[in-house]
Amino acid sequence: MPDLATQTRASPALALTGVTYAYPTAGAAALRDVSLSLATGEFALLAGRSACGKSTLLRAACGLVPHFHGGEIEGGIEVAGIDAIAAGPGELAAVVGYVAQDPETQVVSTTVAAEIELPLEMRGDAPASRARAVEEVALALAIPHLLDRAVDTLSGGELQRVALAAALVTRPRLVLLDEPTSQLDPVAGDELIWLLRRLNEEWGVTILLAEHRLERCLAAADRVIAMASGTVAYDGNPRDFLTWAQNTDTALETPAARLFSLVGIEPLPVGVRDARQTLAAPSPAEGGGTDPLRTTFPFSSPTSRRQQPHVPPEKAREEGVRLPSSPALEARDLWVELTSRETPRDVLQGIDLTVRSGERVALMGRNGAGKSTLLRAAAGLLDPIRGKVEAPHGIALLTQTPSDYLVRERVGDELPGDAGLAALRVVGLEHAVDADPRDLSGGERQRLALAIALAGRMDSDALPGLVALDEPTRGMDRARKSDLVGLVGDLTDRGAGLLVATHDVEFAAAFAERVVLLGNGVVIADGPAPEVLSGGWYFATEVARVLDLPGVITPEQGAEALRSQAGESP
Amino acid sequence: MRSPFAYIPRPRPLQAASPAAAVTYLGALVAVAFLYSSPIVLLAVGLAAVLAGRLAGARAAVRAALWMGLALAALIVIVNALVVSRGATVWARLGEWPLFGQVDVTAEAIVAGAVLGLRAAVVMVAFAVYSACVDPDRVLRALRPLAGRSALTATLVSRLVPVAAADAARLRDAARLRGPGAAPVGRAPLARRLLAGSLDRAVDVAATLELRGYSLDAPRARGRRARSRYDRRFYAAGLLVLATAIAGKALGADAFGEYPATEIGVGGSTLIVAAVVALSGLAPLRRERRQVRSPSVRTASTSLSAGWRS
Repeated sequence: MPDLATQTRASPALALTGVTYAYPTAGAAALRDVSLSLATGEFALLAGRSACGKSTLLRAACGLVPHFHGGEIEGGIEVAGIDAIAAGPGELAAVVGYVAQDPETQVVSTTVAAEIELPLEMRGDAPASRARAVEEVALALAIPHLLDRAVDTLSGGELQRVALAAALVTRPRLVLLDEPTSQLDPVAGDELIWLLRRLNEEWGVTILLAEHRLERCLAAADRVIAMASGTVAYDGNPRDFLTWAQNTDTALETPAARLFSLVGIEPLPVGVRDARQTLAAPSPAEGGGTDPLRTTFPFSSPTSRRQQPHVPPEKAREEGVRLPSSPALEARDLWVELTSRETPRDVLQGIDLTVRSGERVALMGRNGAGKSTLLRAAAGLLDPIRGKVEAPHGIALLTQTPSDYLVRERVGDELPGDAGLAALRVVGLEHAVDADPRDLSGGERQRLALAIALAGRMDSDALPGLVALDEPTRGMDRARKSDLVGLVGDLTDRGAGLLVATHDVEFAAAFAERVVLLGNGVVIADGPAPEVLSGGWYFATEVARVLDLPGVITPEQGAEALRSQAGESP
Repeated sequence: MRSPFAYIPRPRPLQAASPAAAVTYLGALVAVAFLYSSPIVLLAVGLAAVLAGRLAGARAAVRAALWMGLALAALIVIVNALVVSRGATVWARLGEWPLFGQVDVTAEAIVAGAVLGLRAAVVMVAFAVYSACVDPDRVLRALRPLAGRSALTATLVSRLVPVAAADAARLRDAARLRGPGAAPVGRAPLARRLLAGSLDRAVDVAATLELRGYSLDAPRARGRRARSRYDRRFYAAGLLVLATAIAGKALGADAFGEYPATEIGVGGSTLIVAAVVALSGLAPLRRERRQVRSPSVRTASTSLSAGWRS
């Protein structure tokens, strides 16, 4: 009889056979007849809309479903040869690591070293082997300098790496990650994805990664599994997935793929590099000749930006945008000091910023750049130590955690009377007056929180001058982001200024007419969205990175630019 | 918002010491504070605790504990002055008060209250230094062989209490940001919401523990032996303070009379005990490393530099 080690090495990293599962109080099944197999060393991306079953699949693969969450399950799940349904998460801990969306919820120790060491201690490893394992995983994830830090002094990106280290320290064969980049800025998010790729290649770890921002990780993946309503809707390579998404669910298309499909170029690109190579290569359809759409862009040339005609940002804006009028927010020489690790730090350093009524502004920057601090100071939650900030016509701020606004067990109790009903109507939730807020979906809870912030201010006279949202798209799929764009568009049409702190460049490109980029508490860029979001690498849309054309940030703008270039070429 | 008493790892001797050594050292100071009533010795204990905290980098914890301790001391002084009418030096006769009876404010009662308050303040400073400088994970790991699950529970509490405080701050902010048409939020709904949120977090933590293998019956590994080159120093300082304090007590160093007239002994033994206790506050001092410049080292570094240049 083969021993456990031999058995785990020979088996697939993960195998599900006809798995159907329903949570204890849910009417519908979260997983329906799911069958799939992951070979050792694969890097698979789990795609799909919100509530399609991605997180449940990951929980089933690590044993939390059904052992921790309860419910009824049918079918079979094997992780590295171990029957996951019989074994449970404790026994699976040796072969599978799990990293959740919010690292704050999965850290149980006080210091980083203790947190990483805990799984080994639970397993009964000897002190010397624990010390070595902690050191090695810290080196692999480039966090040895964090080992002696207290966990509550870490940034979101650092905490996410610590959670990953705790998942990897036992050298599991399979690592499951549930939207690990949703709270990270573009820089930290990209770093995490490529770190996973490196671990996958060097350590041979099998990765199953659930993500909404597919453009960020599609190029790193070997395989895509798309889910819809609890079933596997697609399972194949990333390039074919894009074709499938184009025909089946355009909400799952990446911006570069959307650009290509708009202008009819094939194959669809799985990443920026792939897109640039495809555009630069001769068209096989032309029998070795050249496709005007492909050859008019000298992508590799560092002077390409200067050679291309500049697309004025004003032209790139949608028609019908109202001209800015009176100030909705004014910050003058704004300094705000916060205390971090017993050391006072000037988080905002002399910010000068004006947002006008009806203007849609995206506030961007790295984690810790001062975005949330600026919004909190504008709302009066923080006092400046120098300078001033004011919203002359009032401000409605929705903070990062909408559930903080929900303190009662009935929507109607949160928003009583006509004013409450009017606010619910604006966010499209008037049908949910009798519902328990906890039973609403994530997007509905966010809209309810926004209604609570706006309640009593919905008359045109009382509408707050500024509506501010702090990271509103965390964990949202593209369809829900589009809904949010529509909602905030209505508010700005009614005269409110809009200021949204976000890491999501594609979302910023969709809603903002102006982008303010913060870096270490100072404004380092402030201009029309097409200009700012096409002028860099990390804070640039995928289309901007593919085409490298000033002012071109959305697939539609990119397609228009490609067509006009093709028309101009001889 | 981080509590000033929360542990922060720092490269200082007190943080590097094993929990047993740190507890011996700080516990000796607390023991002296309870053993002695002499204000000179109590001031020495306070000085030692403040010095130790500052040398260990826990300035915020010391400052916060001093403020809290002094506020508590002031309260004790007032209550003692109103409640105790003993003492020969009457400063004010306040007549008959309900519950208190005849209230005479005496200098001796005020001094006695101040000494009680001083004791409370120095004990608070010592505990603040412990809280900010001794790693709770290491303490609890040391206790794990005795009571594994209780120690883990205590670890979780020490982790989740500051998290709950941060949650409460966020909920208060969200309550302030509600529009005028939304139902106002009183303390009761906020407390209920905080409790519900804490239960959700507890469920998340339980899930994480499951994933870390907590439910396994595997034998718990022995803790890594916490080794520190500073342990001897703190053991020695703690034992020296305790031995001196006990000997001094036997030799009458704790000479302090409260009533009917205040008498503070300033004999040689009292001053020696106070000096030893106060100097023990230097135990967490970190010696700066001197650069050793022997000829051989200079030669090696020169050749290395030459290598770099070439």
